[in-house]
Amino acid sequence: MLSFIRKRAFASLISLIGLLVMVFFLSRLTGDPASLFLPVEASAEMKAEFRALHGLDQPLLVQFGQYVGNVLTGDLGESLRKARPALDVVLEAFTWTLWLAVITMTLVTVCAIVVGSLAAFRTGGFFDRFSSMVSLIGASVPDFWLAIVAIVVFAIQLSWLPTSGTGSLAHWILPICVLFVRPFGIIVQVVRGSMITALSSAYVKTARAKGVKSGPIIFVHALRNAMLPVITVIGDQAASLLNGAVVIETIFGFPGVGKLMIDSILQRDFNVVLAAILVTAFAIFLMNLVIDLAYALLDPRIRY
Amino acid sequence: MKTSKLLGALLGSVLALGTGIAPAQAASTDIKIVLPEEADLLEPCMATRSNIGRVIMENVSETLTELDVRTKKGVMPRLAEKWEQTADGSWRFHLRQGVKFSDGKTFGAKDVKYSFDRIFSDKNICESRRYFGGMKFDVNVVDENTIDFKVDPVQPILPLLLSLVTIVPEGTPLEFVREPIGTGPYKLSNWTPGQQIVLDARDDYWGTKPAVTKATYLFRSDPAVRAAMVQAGEADLAPSISQVEATNDKTDFSYLDSETVYLRIDGNIAPLNDVRVRKALNLAIDRQAFIGTLVPQDAVLATALVPPTTLGWNPDVKVPAFDPDQAKKLLEEAKAAGVPVDTPITVVARTANFPNVTEIMEAIQAQLQDVGFKIDLKFVEVAEHEVYYSKPFKEGRGPIIVAAMHDNSKGDPSFTMFFKYDSKGTQSGYSDPKVDDLIARASAATGDERAKLWSELIAYVHDDLVADVALFHMVGYSRVSERLDFKPSIATNSMLQLSEIGFKN
Repeated sequence: MLSFIRKRAFASLISLIGLLVMVFFLSRLTGDPASLFLPVEASAEMKAEFRALHGLDQPLLVQFGQYVGNVLTGDLGESLRKARPALDVVLEAFTWTLWLAVITMTLVTVCAIVVGSLAAFRTGGFFDRFSSMVSLIGASVPDFWLAIVAIVVFAIQLSWLPTSGTGSLAHWILPICVLFVRPFGIIVQVVRGSMITALSSAYVKTARAKGVKSGPIIFVHALRNAMLPVITVIGDQAASLLNGAVVIETIFGFPGVGKLMIDSILQRDFNVVLAAILVTAFAIFLMNLVIDLAYALLDPRIRY
Repeated sequence: MKTSKLLGALLGSVLALGTGIAPAQAASTDIKIVLPEEADLLEPCMATRSNIGRVIMENVSETLTELDVRTKKGVMPRLAEKWEQTADGSWRFHLRQGVKFSDGKTFGAKDVKYSFDRIFSDKNICESRRYFGGMKFDVNVVDENTIDFKVDPVQPILPLLLSLVTIVPEGTPLEFVREPIGTGPYKLSNWTPGQQIVLDARDDYWGTKPAVTKATYLFRSDPAVRAAMVQAGEADLAPSISQVEATNDKTDFSYLDSETVYLRIDGNIAPLNDVRVRKALNLAIDRQAFIGTLVPQDAVLATALVPPTTLGWNPDVKVPAFDPDQAKKLLEEAKAAGVPVDTPITVVARTANFPNVTEIMEAIQAQLQDVGFKIDLKFVEVAEHEVYYSKPFKEGRGPIIVAAMHDNSKGDPSFTMFFKYDSKGTQSGYSDPKVDDLIARASAATGDERAKLWSELIAYVHDDLVADVALFHMVGYSRVSERLDFKPSIATNSMLQLSEIGFKN
């Protein structure tokens, strides 16, 4: 097990380095941050001074060498626009994103597994058809539309919840509910499909034959076997949430890492872009590791 | 762009179903203001940038002078009580006494000198430096409350230029700061990045105590959400919402926002180097047809890049008539004279530059094509737009027109004309000796002479040189809670003085 973790860590480190090199050079290909930081009327001398101040006048390879040197000492540089360390900016935003992702995915996982399993238990029954309809709508509804409708209904018409922002627990409800819908829709479908296969397998028939009740059949015998593909999809959905939910962050004014990343790319704040990508990539590496370990836990045939 | 329009329409239609406006917040002198983007810095010398200026300009950080845009009294005293020009062209400013910074230090001439030196320091890139390009300053502290500015070349509008320089206390770090100290009526009391900025009124402010005691700034990118927040009572003021949201007469106001949309022509490249072709471009566009359709009803057709409130704006310059036949004729004439009018012209526009930019540019493309132009329309992001808009222009480029929006709320054309038309101007597509001469003379002139020269330049650029295609002076929309007594002005785009906000009850 430990050697597996070591191997995975090493492979991920190589990916991280590749990612760093690629993003460093690609982001610099987008052009000169001076012309975005300064107004169009700024003189060529001012732009040159801006570049000199931030070391952007050096040859690209020299800049890269310096950056790598700094990263090795734990310094991810300063934000070009905010005059504060890029890592601080990113970690501040990533904390919000992480909480949003963790709470949403926990709710999604629990609800989707229960609903999907019950739907699979009586295929074609009322609950199955109803949950299929709900989950299909959930998987396909555009989140920006849902977000704005939710604001109109719950914040303006009913005045139950704040429209947007942060500050109290109530501020979390709308973003989480809107974020919940799509992964829920997708995972319910996967759970259902996977459970139908599991429930028609020989070991379930055996369990029935020896008199095991429906509850334990679904949630003990079948579910554990049906979970492998489900976990893969959960990981996939969680990864996209960890990258930040740009639309939701934008509409609800939620200070997460997705909007930060998009803004930094548009403003060519290179150090923040790199720091944000390194932090999210690291988080996704950790999550994938947990998923791999979960496979082994669920399926004794998988050994690392 | 599309998304926010859709959201806006959706929100608008749902609201139209008959919800009442939520009751305004309880009687309090604290207000909340919701802005489209957060300031990334709160650096006083960057306060001419709108996302920073709207929070700190004249609220936290004050200037020696200020431009009065509401009653049009011109340049008014702020930290300077009065000023005069001496025989050699230098300026003497007499500073207000008894003014204290929010950290308790007393304001004096040394702070003014320090603030000026700080702008030119190589430890930072202060945006306000751009207003002083090509000028040499010799700043002398005469006594605690008197300071002399000797500028080469002589600057007749130095008092106006000083309305752009915020004063920081001596000893402020030369590097950008995030916690500004100023002499203004408010001080920064909290900044939680990504969430809010809070300003509190100062007890020891030198001037009249403003009605607003505390202002909390919130940031939401979506205009529909900003409008909804004022409606739901979560905010009192949204200085910019979109036109589709502005549906309530009681709370929503339009204002001429000092932005002018125009087509910048690169007059160096054929066929755009021919004045007949440029005239044809102007005659082919039906400007009036855009008003009230794709461009807001209150927008004004432009004849210059500066709004009508600007010194020297020329009322005799008329908007070109929409005359496609005349445009066709001019093109034919040019063609007969050997001008390659069939060369495809690239029109470069910036995505999300202003509302409906896609539809407006497509309509303009169609109108130009109707008279015989070959137009390739290209939409680019802000960074790429800058490459086309500003010098150095690419060698070997084809004929290019750039759709752009220019902002001048500062009352004097000098902030526009040099950059847009002078041979050395960063966005200028011309090198015309008469233009250069007029700009140089107008910049050095004062009073009526100055206004006259600017008027002459505006007429020459528009009627004789036909330098570009001026289109619209744009309007912005604000939503103001019913409990506030506030009307947006032409300066609202760049600053938002809390002292101008009152309460109705």
